[in-house]
Parts: sequence; structure tokens; C-alpha cells
Amino acid sequence: MATHITPCSSSSSSSSLTFSSEFNVCKPRKCCFSKRVSQVRPRILSRNHFQIKSSNGQPLNAVSMQDVLFGLGMDGRPLAKGIKPEEEEVFFDFSDPEEVQSTLSIAVVGASGDLAKKKIFPALFALYYEDCLPENFVVFGYARTKLTDEELRNMISGTLTCRIDTNENCEAKMEQFLKRCFYHSGQYNSEEHFAELDSKLKEKEAGKLSNRLFYLSVPPNIFVDVVRCASLKASSANGWTRVIVEKPFGRDSESSAELTRCLKRYLTEDQIFRIDHYLGKELVENLSVLRFSNLVFEPLWSRNYIRNVQLIFSEDFGTEGRGGYFDHYGIIRDIMQNHLLQILALFAMETPVSLDAEDIRNEKVKVLRSMKQLQLEDVIIGQYKGHNKGGRRYPGYTDDSTVPNNSITPTFAAAALFINNARWDGVPFLMKAGKALHTRRAEIRVQFRHVPGNLYKQNFGTDLDKATNELVLRVQPDEAIYLKINNKVPGLGMRLDRSDLNLLYRARYSKEIPDAYERLLLDAIAGERRLFIRSDELDAAWSLFTPLLKELEVKKIAPELYPYGSRGPVGAHYLAAKYNVRWGDLSGEDS
Amino acid sequence: MAAFYATHCRSYSYTYSSSINGGRNQRFSFSSSFLRLSVPAKAKVFLQSQRNSYQNAVLMQDVATKATTVEKETGLEKLKDELLSVTSSKEWDEKAGFDINENESTVSITVVGASGDLAKKKIFPALFALYYEDCLPKHFTVYGYARSKMTDAELRNMVSKTLTCRIDKRENCGEKMEQFLKRCFYHSGQYDSQENFAQLDKKLKEHEGRRVSNRLFYLSIPPNIFIEAVKCASLSASSGNGWTRVIVEKPFGRDSESSAALTKALKQYLAEDQIFRIDHYLGKELVENLSVLRFSNLIFEPLWSRQYIRNVQLIFSEDFGTEGRGGYFDHYGIIRDIMQNHLLQILALFAMETPVSLDAEDIRNEKVKVLRSMRPLQLENVVIGQYKSHNKGGVTYPAYTDDKTVPKGSLTPTFAAAALFIDNARWDGVPFLMKAGKALHNKRAEIRVQFRHVPGNLYNRNFRTDLDRATNELVIRVQPDEAIYLKINNKVPGLGMRLDRSNLNLHYAARYSKEIPDAYERLLLDAIEGERRLFIRSDELDAAWELFTPVLAELEVKKIIPEYYPYGSRGPVGAHYLAARYNVRWGDLGVEQ
Repeated sequence: MATHITPCSSSSSSSSLTFSSEFNVCKPRKCCFSKRVSQVRPRILSRNHFQIKSSNGQPLNAVSMQDVLFGLGMDGRPLAKGIKPEEEEVFFDFSDPEEVQSTLSIAVVGASGDLAKKKIFPALFALYYEDCLPENFVVFGYARTKLTDEELRNMISGTLTCRIDTNENCEAKMEQFLKRCFYHSGQYNSEEHFAELDSKLKEKEAGKLSNRLFYLSVPPNIFVDVVRCASLKASSANGWTRVIVEKPFGRDSESSAELTRCLKRYLTEDQIFRIDHYLGKELVENLSVLRFSNLVFEPLWSRNYIRNVQLIFSEDFGTEGRGGYFDHYGIIRDIMQNHLLQILALFAMETPVSLDAEDIRNEKVKVLRSMKQLQLEDVIIGQYKGHNKGGRRYPGYTDDSTVPNNSITPTFAAAALFINNARWDGVPFLMKAGKALHTRRAEIRVQFRHVPGNLYKQNFGTDLDKATNELVLRVQPDEAIYLKINNKVPGLGMRLDRSDLNLLYRARYSKEIPDAYERLLLDAIAGERRLFIRSDELDAAWSLFTPLLKELEVKKIAPELYPYGSRGPVGAHYLAAKYNVRWGDLSGEDS
Repeated sequence: MAAFYATHCRSYSYTYSSSINGGRNQRFSFSSSFLRLSVPAKAKVFLQSQRNSYQNAVLMQDVATKATTVEKETGLEKLKDELLSVTSSKEWDEKAGFDINENESTVSITVVGASGDLAKKKIFPALFALYYEDCLPKHFTVYGYARSKMTDAELRNMVSKTLTCRIDKRENCGEKMEQFLKRCFYHSGQYDSQENFAQLDKKLKEHEGRRVSNRLFYLSIPPNIFIEAVKCASLSASSGNGWTRVIVEKPFGRDSESSAALTKALKQYLAEDQIFRIDHYLGKELVENLSVLRFSNLIFEPLWSRQYIRNVQLIFSEDFGTEGRGGYFDHYGIIRDIMQNHLLQILALFAMETPVSLDAEDIRNEKVKVLRSMRPLQLENVVIGQYKSHNKGGVTYPAYTDDKTVPKGSLTPTFAAAALFIDNARWDGVPFLMKAGKALHNKRAEIRVQFRHVPGNLYNRNFRTDLDRATNELVIRVQPDEAIYLKINNKVPGLGMRLDRSNLNLHYAARYSKEIPDAYERLLLDAIEGERRLFIRSDELDAAWELFTPVLAELEVKKIIPEYYPYGSRGPVGAHYLAARYNVRWGDLGVEQ
């Protein structure tokens, strides 16, 4: 049944085969850019120009063509038996050996850092393993440390893993991948050193069309220097040059605006890819699918039916000796202003004109600009303190040697936000983020209103309002979607309780869910900007939080202390109570 | 813990709240009335039954008969104590044993047609299950009545073979069975003999002693002797000082006229509120849950109309034929046997407007309104079929007309599909498709709600072929393997953007460890308690027949030949063309299923 081989986007599980006849969708940009694909591309594009704009899928006629192309492996041979020789011949009719091949160079600036080792290199390898990288690519590590290519390879090989479900040839693939990894040592502010990198890249590119992606995994204070050097000395001459930057994007409106201004001196808006890795998470991606491709949800998606929305993030560990950076920013800047606010915007936006990046980001900006600035009385902050449990001592935040002893930086915050538009007027959007709590979790909870004039009122012993429907999207860990409904307990009586309509990803999909970084790197390579943050989005996000952040600092508001490993400060409950709602994650029903 | 209050003798005790309420049915059914009068308001909360009708109607009947003083007071004290202090259900059970009240009422349940199949397979086991769960009143007797000569011991022997205990509470099973059987008796008599019923009356009186006597007759006999039995029971064996109720099973006639005649005849001897017309599908767990889903969840009610629902499907299939019992069936056919009653009742429950309350009369009023808003079924909206023989894996499965009890040239449908319409504001233009058949490929009963497609779907390009086919669907699987699931479109995890349909699932076996009670248990208990919500009122029955009678007559007059389908197949393809006519598809025969 599954005639379409789309290595990057189709699942290998049997269920996908069953369904493929109905909605198997290939996302061509995401699939292997083999040598020949890139040759043929201009022709395809001229025929089906909408592909350029399309961020997701295409009509049948385009897909079937693409599938043939993308079904080819690195060497141009079919990847699977599904493709018939005739199709291959059709393909060759399009090819043009004279045309210039493109190459991709990925420079990881700050290659010796933690993020690079733990996330970036493994994600690149996963993409390579899934045949999602173009045929010609090199990876360059850049950092100040003196390392040989061999040493870099050694260092990263320790963190590469193959997917559990497809780990044949893992070793061989790893070897091949590492052969394409190189290292260049240099200062982050030295144009000279970047010029050296440029000449090394040119060597590898060997006159082919050169596309360059810089991943800036460096501290924020040297962002601009690196961008300057990279842009002036190591930009691609004939292809594109893109720069991925990671948070923090400033620490308030002013510093963020300053950073953007500096970046724009050297880069245009469409070269800047501000990454928010929460937007790459599977269930955050699925949020729009749920809303916009199911009739049953959209009618409910407004103040008429939704009582409140909760965005919850918790970690079960503290700063653990790495508080230096964190102490300067605090949990609000680290989690709320970016990750949670981005999810909120996606959740609450109006239906975009299309799924194109600009259309979606336009809608997100509208949400952010409709929001009320966060008020001090709608925020609770907390900081974890030392705690003894089971004979073990868990340190307080200020016990961390990298944290100043008298720090009042919040490690926990809860906030109530409001969107003053027709859809959401009066609906509290509660956010909660914290470190050193009792669980590790990220989820979106949509609590619905109570049933007006409920016939079964007498069956709910005490508080009818507590028995409302709730839709939960668990982003991590253990991805799931469930809808809490009231149901009759089987038996002769008439007793109601809440049960879940459940979709547990682990049970439904056998495929391993890719890491957010894989998706985002692939998007950046493909020039898909949907999941990256545009400058005006960032400005709007900061203007919601900046006044509050300043007030907290000026007034030196002391955080409520909570024990390491606890459920966080009780203040969060009072905040929810103020708006007559309850936190869904601490209700006792839910683990 | 969100265990909502059950407040009924019938709820089970595996949570804190239900342990308060669990397991002492006698107390509740028979003493709640005076509690209601005298218990402080605080305790009243616990006692309030969700079944208003029960309180209002039953108590009137049951309560009036209680006039004692001392024991009641102590019973009340004890009950109050226990309500105000949390006790485990175990303690409860022990204490309940001492609650003696000489003047309690009794219930005598007479199974008329005791040697029949239904009695053996369903009625006696259901009665035993109720006994086992402490849901029967303290004083009760069960009488079998039939023409065969039998002793009490022989009846007990016969009955004991079909009794089972619930899987989840097997303790004391043997002992309980013994106790139950001791309360079973037999009386042999003719169904049309007042004299024989008078003898029964005498025996019943002996067992009842001086207590208030309530009598329930379960008529498990062929329709041609309904009236005779009702006449005799009513004239010669009615209760003198309590209630007398009669449960009747389908068929309730075979068209409007015969049904009206039957009702008229019944009413000569019984008042409307004595007649309990049973439709055992209404006692099924998930049919009961249908109203709960709709009315206690905010998220469903807004969707429950033509604006969002494209069509509704009511599907019943059996994987066996008449198997030598075609005599009765051949006279009725699948439309009368399944559609006009079971499926139509579910449809009415599904489509009704919100009732004023959950009281029986309020619900039945709304159901009648639905039935009366419906267009009588048209011949062109019906497809009929009959199974033919089929060879599979070396086994020959017989055709319907191979059954010796079926006339050779029979045109009786063993399969039917129909499209019905409700001409009201909520459902105008929404096809309600029904399908029922014997000797099909599986055994199943389910309700499928297919939603409209998403207007202006952004993800259009991700659906390869037919967008309309990727709509949401809510499925309520009544049997086997009870479940509720909602098909949603979801992103397949991975780097691409591929959508497929996944289910938001509630599988009863996985969620609830309890065995689900048989429909007959619920209905018998309701009849004993005087709860009429799940029984069919005369005007409902009339309205139901009016929808089907013209087409049934037309089928017979025109001698429409059924489409033949092989035994064990998916039924006649005509059903697909019927669905196609309304631009919908059967949800149960899709590739995904």
C-alpha cells in the first residue's frame, strides 16, 4: 500500500502503512536534498511554484512527483523497493549534469559547549541518519579551544545515538558522518579567524553553490561579535547564509531591541533564525493540527466554552552548579517570556490565512499585541530552598556556589495573563514555570466551563464546577493528548466520574519522536521560518514582560521560598483562586 | 478524589464516597422516605437520590406503607451515625445485617413462562445477580409459573445451572446461590386459567405473611397469550395492599393496529403505570451513558446538531442466523425485531432535546417528541436483505430458508438498512442511518456520529484524497467490548507534516475493573423500584409504529424480494448505495475498521 517512500517524514510503523493510502504526506523540503534533487529543483519549482510557499504538504499531483525524487538515496539509487525502475527513468529525464551542485556547510560556533555536544551534533547526526541532509554537506565546529578534527570527532562521537527503531548500520553511518565533521579553532571576535574558516569552507565546497548555516551556541555577550565576523568574512558568496541564534534574546525590551539592531547591521531579517526549541516539540506542532483539522475542537475554542488555559512547565532539578547564567535572567525570562508565551500565542491565535510562516507569525504577533501587560499583582515568584528528604540533603538555590548568596532571582513563577480580544476577553491564561519541583513536565491544559443547567447536578456530590471537561496536551515527558469527560461509572447505580478519552503517543505510534532540535535545524536548512521567532514577535513579547520584570527588580520583591522537590509556593494557588480557577496539575486526580 | 455521589443503593463501593452509599439497598429503598422527613438537612445531602422520580413516585407508594416506630427510629439513628462518620463498606455490610424490620414490605416476583429460554438465560440469572449485590428487598420470593409439571426442587435445579457470580466478587458464591434458590418456588398452571392464578395468589400470600405485598409479574411468554396471562394475573393474583406491576417483552404487536389492540387489551386490566414494556437495549450500559455524555459534558452539547453532525449511524449485527428458531422471527423480520424498537429507541434518546429533568416522564416526553417529528419511513429509503448459504473453510453455513422452522419461500428480511429523518430545527436534513442484520461477519452494536468536514481546512493539502472522509467521528460501542472513542486528525510524530486519524479512547475494560451488569439486571431493578425511565410508554410505542407500519405494509403487499447476501458476509451492497444516496459512508465498513 505504501508506495511513497519519504524517508524523513514518513513513519516506519505499520500503522502508517495502513493510513498512508489516505493521508500520507510528504514534506518535500524536509526530505533528502540529494545531488540530483537540487539539480532538478528549479524545474519542479517552475512547474509547481506553490511549493516555494508551501510549508506543509502539497496536492497529490505534486507529491507523487516529489516522492519519486526524494525516494532516492545519497547515491541516487532508490532507497527502497517501492520505486520502480520506470519512475527512476522519468526522474533522469529531468536531471541536468551540467548544472552546479549545491553544498551545505554547517558551522557550529561554540562547538565545545554543552548544548553543542548534547543537542546540536546529535540532531545533525539524526538528520543525516534519516537521509534528511543534502548530499554534499560538511559540519564545522568552531571554538576557542585548540582541537584537531580528530579530537572534535572523538568528543562528539560520545553523544551520537541511533534511533531505537532503526539502528541498523548505526556504526557505519556514524563513521561516515564523523568524516564530514571538521574543526577550526579561533577567537569569536576575530575577523581574521573567520576568514580562515571561510577558506577552509571554500575548500570543502569546491566551487559548488555554497549555502552556509551558522549555529551560534555562544554566550549572549559575544553574539554580535560572532555575527559580525561571520557575516563579513565567512558569508556565502553565491548561496544563502543563515544564522541560528539561541536565547537569551536580551533581558528586556531595550536590550533585546539593541541586540536586534546589531544583528540587523550584519544580517537581514530573513537570515536570522531565532530558535525557541519548544516550538519544535511534537505536541506543540500538533496543537495547530488539532485545532484546525478537527471540526470538534474549533467551535469550542473561545471564551464561550473555555474557562481558562494553563501552560505548565516544571523541572525536577535545580541549577546544580550552573547558576551563573540563570541568576542573571531568572525563570520568567528563561521559560515564560519565550517558551510558554510562544505556546500561548500559537494556542490563542486566530486562524491564519495559510500555514506559511509569515501568515502564522502575523497571527501570533496579533495575539501578543492584544495582550494586557503583565501586572505585579498577577505574578507570584518563588525560589527553592534546601530540603532534607530520605536522609538526603537537597541544596537551596543560594547554596549553589555559582549563585550570589543573597540572590532573589526567582526559580519559580506563576502568572495570569489576559488577551483583550473578542475571542479571549476575560479568559485567564495561567502560566507556571519552576525548577526543583516534584515532577518534570510540560503541558497545556484547557479547562472548559461548567455545563449550564446540568441535569446531573445531583450526581456531583459537592462542587459541580470542579467536574468540568479538560483537554490536556502533555508536551513532555510521555507525549499524550487526553480529554477528561464525565462518564457514568458502569453498574446498576447512576454514579458519574471523570474518565479520559486518551491518546497516549507511546501506545499509538511506535516511532521514536524526533528531538525538537532536529526539526528546527532541518527547518533552518530548508528556509522554513514558521517555528522561528520574528523580530516583531520578540518585541511584542518583551513589552508584555519588561515593566513587570523591572518592577520586581526595583522593588526587590522577595520570592516565596519553597522546598526543593515540592509542588512550589502555595502563592500559585492563591493566584489561581483570584480568578476562580484551579491548577489542573495539582488537583490530585492527575499524576 | 473526584468520586461523585452515587446516592443510590445500587452504586458500588470502591471509593470513599461510594462506600457511604454502597451495599445496603434495603435501607435505601425502603427507609429513605422517613429519613427524608426527619433527617437533618446535613444528612439529607447524602441521601438525595439522583433519580427524582424514584423519590417522588416510589416513595409515595412504598413509604405510605411504613407506619412503625421503634425499629425505625433505631435504624434511623444508626444510619445517621454512619452517614456522619465515614465507615468502610465492610463495616456497613456487617451492620446492615442487623437491620431487622418486621413490617417491611415484600416483593414477589413471578416469572410467567419460567421454563422458557429467556427465563433461564436472562431473568433468573439477573435476579440472582441483584440478590448477590444486595439490591433486592430483604423480603422477596421468586415464583416460576409455567404449564410443565415441576416441583420446587426441579425448578431450583434447572435455575441453578445458569446462575453465575460476578468475576470480581466470587466469595461466598455457592452459599449465596443456595440462599437465593431457597427463595425460588414453582407453581404449575395454565396461562389462561384464573383458577390456577388464584392458587398462585394463595401461595404468594403464604410467603408474604402480613407484610405489605408488592408483586411483579414478568411475562416471558409468546405474544398470543399475553392478554390471557395479564387478565388472569390481574384478576386473580393482584396484590391486595401493595403494587402490582407487569413486565412485558417485545413483540408489542406487529404494526400500528395490532399494537394498539394489544395496548387496549392490556389497559382493560392494567393502568399505564403498571405496564413495564421492556426494551433491553435501553438497559445497556453505554445507552445509559449516552445521556450522561451529552448532558454532563460541555464539549459535546454544542456539537449536537445539524450544524456539526453530518449523519448518525445506528448499527446492529449478529454473526449467527436463526439456527433452528426461525418460527417466531419469520413472522416478524429484522425491521420489527431490531429496528422499530431497539435502534429507534436509541435514536430517540440520542436526538431528543434536553429534558426538564431526568424523571421518567420528562425523558419519555422528549423521546415522543422526536418520534413524532420524524418522517414515516419511505420504501426508497429501505434496503432489505436475506442471508443465503455460504461455504467457507469447508463448512457450509445454511441459508435462512434452509432453517426448518422457516417457510421455503419466505421473503422475511434478515437484514435491513434504512435512512430516517427528523424534521425539526435541530436535525433537519441529517440522515439517521440504521442497519441491522443476522448472519453477518461480526457481532456488534454501536452508535456512530460522523461530523462534518472542517470548513476551509488549512491542512487540506495534507489529506491525500478525500478530505470529507477525514472527518471526526464519535463512536459509542454498545457491545461487545464497551468503548467510547473519538476519531481525531492528528499529526504523525516525526519530522514531516503528515496527518492521520487517531482515537481519543475510552476502553471500558481498561478503565473500569468492574464487570458491567447485564441489561436485565438494571431493568428488573428499575421495575421493582418503579423507575420507568427505561421502559416504553404507550404513546412512544404508538409513535414508533406509525413510522414503520406503512413501509412494513408496503414491503409485504408488494412482496419486495430481499437482496441475498452470503452467511457471514458484510451484508448486501444495497446498504452502501443507500448511504451513498445521502452522500455518507458506513463508518463500520471503512478500511480503518
